[in-house]
Amino acid sequence: MADRDLGELLARMARTRVNRRSFLATSGLLGTSAYLAACSTGGGGTSAPTGVPASQAPGGEATPAPASEVESELFVYNWSDYISPNNIEAFKEEFGVTNFVYDIFSNNEELIAKLQGGASGYDLACPTAEYVPGMVEEGFLTKLDLSRIPNVKHINPTFKGLWWDPTDEYQVPKDYGTTGILWRKSLLPSVPASWKEFYELVKGEGSGKTVFVDSMGDVFVFPLKMLGYSLNSNEPNELEEARKILLEVAPHILALDSDTYGDKMATGEAALTLGWTGPLGQELADLVAEGDAGYSVPSEGTLFWMDTWVMLADAPHPNAAYAWLDFIHRPEIQAEETNYNLYATPNDAAKEFVDPEILNNPAIFPPEDVIANLEGAQDTSGNNQRIDIWEEFKSAIGG
Amino acid sequence: MAAITRVSGGMPVRPATPGRLRSRLLTTALLAPAALWYLVLLVLPLAIVVVFSFGVRARNGGYEPAFVLDNYARAIDKPDPFIASLQMAGLGTLGCLLVGLPLAYFLATRAGRRKGTLILLLVIPFWTSFLIRTYSWMIVLGPDNGLAGIIQGLTGDDRFGILGTPVAVLIGLVYGYLPLMVFPLYVTLERMDRSLVEASKDLGAGRWATFRQVTLPIALPGLVTGSILVFIPMMGEYVIPQILGYGRTYLMGNALVTDFLEARNWPSGSARAVGLIVIMFVTISLYLWFVNRGRKTREVSVL
Repeated sequence: MADRDLGELLARMARTRVNRRSFLATSGLLGTSAYLAACSTGGGGTSAPTGVPASQAPGGEATPAPASEVESELFVYNWSDYISPNNIEAFKEEFGVTNFVYDIFSNNEELIAKLQGGASGYDLACPTAEYVPGMVEEGFLTKLDLSRIPNVKHINPTFKGLWWDPTDEYQVPKDYGTTGILWRKSLLPSVPASWKEFYELVKGEGSGKTVFVDSMGDVFVFPLKMLGYSLNSNEPNELEEARKILLEVAPHILALDSDTYGDKMATGEAALTLGWTGPLGQELADLVAEGDAGYSVPSEGTLFWMDTWVMLADAPHPNAAYAWLDFIHRPEIQAEETNYNLYATPNDAAKEFVDPEILNNPAIFPPEDVIANLEGAQDTSGNNQRIDIWEEFKSAIGG
Repeated sequence: MAAITRVSGGMPVRPATPGRLRSRLLTTALLAPAALWYLVLLVLPLAIVVVFSFGVRARNGGYEPAFVLDNYARAIDKPDPFIASLQMAGLGTLGCLLVGLPLAYFLATRAGRRKGTLILLLVIPFWTSFLIRTYSWMIVLGPDNGLAGIIQGLTGDDRFGILGTPVAVLIGLVYGYLPLMVFPLYVTLERMDRSLVEASKDLGAGRWATFRQVTLPIALPGLVTGSILVFIPMMGEYVIPQILGYGRTYLMGNALVTDFLEARNWPSGSARAVGLIVIMFVTISLYLWFVNRGRKTREVSVL
């Protein structure tokens, strides 16, 4: 195992982009994640992407709104390190936006809580898609004038007209990913390709070496999909079956951790994780190159999440916001986003500009047959049975 | 001013004079910030929590006004985190006491000229963020080069781990809250009249009897203060079980996070928070009653 000391760990913490779906970073940790994010943008040249330099930003497909109408400020509320700094600079230069404010939230709940608390002052935000209908219902969002965002034409139809926004008038897809299984080949007898195989491994060789992300919606995917049910199921019988499976695997779990599971996988403390693709390009990058670490999208199907751009109802700078939404979906600009944050773009035209290594990575851009098997998540957090099972599961892990 | 007038005048009650009025105004003015602070930041939020605890979850999460008792029923139905927290905070307080009492005694009576330096050393860790200190325990206890790694090497059991167990959480709790126990103890022990200990010894009491009958009763106020200071935050601790406990130790703090952030069920979380406050209040009242009763009987026996 690698020699590591505090300095190195802290340096790593500062470098690593805080996981976009991280749940740990609530209240107490909030300040720190913001601080770490500040470190990584301020001091870290290490994670700079191989992107388009700001000065060479392509000018093609200019936005219809003349730059003169665009306000000089734009306030964005987003996951940390989720927009390429090069793109921000290029946008500021092209549209004469002098004050681009990028504030950070660490989970959807935080974003919604802020909006429920009253005026936000933000122009744009990036909630996960299943939260959009609730936000529309609460009157938090502006209906978009799609004629001002012509570049949405590049978005693959797979990501249009979905249940969360059937008319595509409230959100513009940002990027998407899956929930699946991260594995260390050298620590396991076989690489799991399905939830069923994962289940057997957790109880067998993976016992005491398996991490689950601390996220209710993602954890329920495993038992429900393994049983052949919808991952959004609210059927009491189906959830009861899922409960039995979760309680059965609970004693074998090493940690419930959404923030440092990449680290645990890298040191070999964990051999399996029910999680996201984030660590593949970060903590696990070297092991992935050696073929020792990887990610499986389970064959029974799994969840796909999609983050979206939305304009808030009280957006103080709507013209700048429209300019940004169109700008960010220019193919080259969108490709730079993917090259930076390593999440798949729904923008087809952008793919030719994406680094081939990223584009050909099935963990990031799933093949067509896998996409057909994916199910979009619904907001099931209002189901008390799920909450009760989740809490029972959490208590059972330690007990 | 009032006090001075009273003492010099020797009269317990005096008619209101302009000077007295002014002093009253001054007292009010000086207490106003504290009163306002407590009202706005303690009483008001507490009232909101109590009101919320009778509401229902709005369709998209949050709070919707109502008057139902379901939230309390659900909270009572799920006592595991309560019990786990009570156990963990109790053991943590005991741990702080076992480590803190000898340390405070040493600082107060034996440290001599090094006292200042030692107290400074005790405070220095607090200059670093709590989170960073907790993360550094991951390295100290970890399987790489930490304690778990050393034990793995000695026993050959490569599955041995400390992180992710209740022991790791306990170590983190004792470490994190130790100074809150040491300082009140130190203050009471420092003021202790050493001649009492000498007298006890002269009268034939052994070390243990002296400690039990002289030192401990004197240290009791500090001990009570320290215990309460560490017990209360330990009951709601969230970060340490999450980081050092690998999220495997599910305590009240974690349960509240589940309610407020994952279920977005503010009424349910509020009911649990109110339950926690009530239980703490009862526990601490019982504890104080028990300790004071012990003190009174001892005073009687001395008489």
